[in-house]
Amino acid sequence: MSPSTVQPPKKIRSRLAGLNPWQIFRVAWRAIVGNPLRSILTTLGVIIGVAAVVALTMVGQGSTANITRSLQGLGTNLLTIGSNTGGRGGGFGLVRFGGPQTITLADAEAVKSAFAGRLAGVAPALQSNQQVKVGASNLNATVIGTWPDYASVRNAQPAQGSFFSEADLQGRRRAAVIGYGIAQDLFGGQDPLGQRIRIAGISFTVVGVLPDKGDSGFASPNYQVMVPLSTYLQRLARSSTGEPRVNAIYVQAPDKDSLARLQQELTDFMAQRRKVTDPSEYDFSVQNQADALASVNQVTQTMTLFLGGVAGISLLVGGIGIMNIMLVSVTERTREIGIRKALGAKPRDILTQFLVESVVLSVGGGILGIFLGLAMAGSVGQLLRVTPVFDPFSMVLAFVFSVAVGIFFGFYPASRAARLDPVESLRYE
Amino acid sequence: MTVVSLDQLHKVYKSGTLEFEALKGVSLDIRQGEMVALMGPSGSGKTTLMQIIGLLDRPTSGHYILAGQDVTTLSENQRAEVRNLEIGFVFQAFHLLPRLNVLENVEVPLTYAGFGAQEKRERAMDVLQKVGLGDRWRNLPSQLSGGQKQRVAVARALTMRPSILLADEPTGNLDSKTAAEVMRLFQELNDEGTCVIVVTHEADIADYTGRIVRIRDGQIESDGPNPHRKRPVGGWA
Repeated sequence: MSPSTVQPPKKIRSRLAGLNPWQIFRVAWRAIVGNPLRSILTTLGVIIGVAAVVALTMVGQGSTANITRSLQGLGTNLLTIGSNTGGRGGGFGLVRFGGPQTITLADAEAVKSAFAGRLAGVAPALQSNQQVKVGASNLNATVIGTWPDYASVRNAQPAQGSFFSEADLQGRRRAAVIGYGIAQDLFGGQDPLGQRIRIAGISFTVVGVLPDKGDSGFASPNYQVMVPLSTYLQRLARSSTGEPRVNAIYVQAPDKDSLARLQQELTDFMAQRRKVTDPSEYDFSVQNQADALASVNQVTQTMTLFLGGVAGISLLVGGIGIMNIMLVSVTERTREIGIRKALGAKPRDILTQFLVESVVLSVGGGILGIFLGLAMAGSVGQLLRVTPVFDPFSMVLAFVFSVAVGIFFGFYPASRAARLDPVESLRYE
Repeated sequence: MTVVSLDQLHKVYKSGTLEFEALKGVSLDIRQGEMVALMGPSGSGKTTLMQIIGLLDRPTSGHYILAGQDVTTLSENQRAEVRNLEIGFVFQAFHLLPRLNVLENVEVPLTYAGFGAQEKRERAMDVLQKVGLGDRWRNLPSQLSGGQKQRVAVARALTMRPSILLADEPTGNLDSKTAAEVMRLFQELNDEGTCVIVVTHEADIADYTGRIVRIRDGQIESDGPNPHRKRPVGGWA
């Protein structure tokens, strides 16, 4: 062994430029792995916070996508005239069921003649749940009595056969257009066209089958049957006196730009027919699909903000958990810090070591949280029959936030460790 | 050449209004190649002196020149660098890091000096072989005997080839046979040129050194060569 020589200060500084990041990471990793239970408990807050953000965003976006899809599936440039029996207008633009119906077939006929040539289509609809039967198999379906325009207005063009015709309507023929799901369930592989089905015991002939619209959870178009309104009123509707009432009148505007104007004109027209002037007395509402989409979007935005707040709070709590354990860890490892300082660790080296440890903890928690969130989104989505939407942005955001939490809450314990006096800490038992 | 030069060191501890003067003007020169015992009863100030020599603590006044540099007024970072490069510590309680294996413990000072993995391993294995523990490098400290732990600590103190080896009661936790082995290891290192300072209150241990400095009440009571220096029975000298 060669005798040591005096080292000039300049050489010292260049030699001790700093620690290699990989070595810092290894030291931190060992400290974390050395006490796995505590490390998991420490990061639990961050894990749950990140998992909650990821899962809730995915499921939330999935259900928004569902609602948007079903709203768009209602038809393009669609205006809906519906009953408004409680309170003033507004709401979701989805047809209200239950409660007295105030829209009549005569309203639909009046709209059709008054706005002739200015609308792409008019279709009143009256619907109810009925048993649909073929041979021995049967199921429950939504049966809608309507006009032929329904095909274009509500985006319900059959994939096989055709929609029932004006002649079918006039002749009160028992013609039915069935949804994809009904065709699959009742006819299996057979061609349903021309076959007979029994709706509430009354025999109908299948003239058309709709394409697969996807299972959107509620009011699935795959389990609907469309029949001429005249036939419906005669054969399926509960007998009632007076003017036949319908659930809604669907009106299709020729283009997007005329939607708002037509909405106003239809409102005025309906008001005039009822001889009311005060909007608070309107027993109907004319709603625009765009309004419904806008209100869904608004709800979504509010939900997103709300979820963001919840996530922020849980990450904050997680960060405090990390700080708490890091403070304990610094106290426990006082002697180690003293030894490292005696062997040449600078305050900065100790600071980095503990900071890296808390960041590794929070990043590990963030990664685990993302996976847990994906799993949670999968199972919650299955439970709610919602397909979760994979959203890389929310994951990146949650991840970045958890790193920031690690740095922020790790800094105080780390700087406390760095400032420890070597003499005191070597003496610490 | 003088390795350690202390000039009128004072150290005053303050606790509220109470003041305690642990060192009352200590001046001491230690030359390269010396093996010195710092002796004194507890409370004499020998631990304080050791901490100042080891740059773990600062004197209240006076000057300290280590290996040609005035280290009295260095910043915290510079003191860490000097500790890393010039001083090898051996403690009574061994002070090995329990989660690191023997080799990794010896590598710690090299890590703070910024050596690469390859060079760290080579240097650490070198000194481990020197203290006779080359085959135990994988073990954790808890798997070693007291004497082996202290030899690992000596190896760790040597890896940076420091100017002085500073041992604070190095045999305090060892039985007499192991203590003798450790002291002979120090003698061997000293014979190769390393300056060794041993802080002890046992005359038996001090007798392995060539010079004994006695401290009492914060002052040097006596300082002179050790006439009864124990030498190994054979082979080493």
